[in-house]
Amino acid sequence: MVKFLKPNKAVILLQGRFAGRKAVIVRSFDDGSRDRPYGHCLVAGISKYPAKVIRKDSSKKTAKKSRVKAFAKMVNYSHVMPTRYTLDVDLKDVVTADALQSRDKKETTGKEIKKRFEERFKTGKNRWFFSKLRF
Amino acid sequence: MVAAKKTKKTHESINNRLALVMKSGKYTLGYKTVLKSLRNSKGKLIIIANNCPPLRKSEIEYYAMLAKVGVHHYNGNNVDLGTACGKYYRVCCLSIIDPGDSDIIKSMPSDA
Repeated sequence: MVKFLKPNKAVILLQGRFAGRKAVIVRSFDDGSRDRPYGHCLVAGISKYPAKVIRKDSSKKTAKKSRVKAFAKMVNYSHVMPTRYTLDVDLKDVVTADALQSRDKKETTGKEIKKRFEERFKTGKNRWFFSKLRF
Repeated sequence: MVAAKKTKKTHESINNRLALVMKSGKYTLGYKTVLKSLRNSKGKLIIIANNCPPLRKSEIEYYAMLAKVGVHHYNGNNVDLGTACGKYYRVCCLSIIDPGDSDIIKSMPSDA
């Protein structure tokens, strides 16, 4: 009886191009909207996970391996598997509904999410979120 | 063993309570609507039949854990659960949204 599809919840996408990828809910629309008459949410996720970094990697290699490719997407609740994890990265200002309207806005949003994800990954926190889900 | 043999009496009492919910309360039957009721936090108790596929069972239990909702594993398969609901079809899982006059929510989660 507790609402759990809230912002900052880590979820796994189940359908679509990004199936199997982890994402974080930025904004949730429980009652839907006119275009989407079902419960859905805006998520920001990882499209390409950072690679495994080992001790003998040079700093240039580490930098290359720690890159993250991100995406933002509106997704139906039933295409999402919620998890018990959360990721508190502040994305509310950059990921908005109108950021998904045009291709160039989507690109800039993706780059901004990528930056914030990368700096979070480099701190070593939220390790689960940045590891690939094996299936 | 945890409730290895559910006594006839408690089994009948679940059936009675379930019948009362069917008559006076609100419920949804079926996997898709159960997940929907958990997502919008309307579900108060989930009942799963014993022959529910294990992946589906764990998925429902995980959602219920996130929503802090009790899950009751019904002592019977989906055919029995459908009969207990008074339906002529199989019911693998159901979600009780409003128990009506029944006290199923107050008494069940103690042994779930």
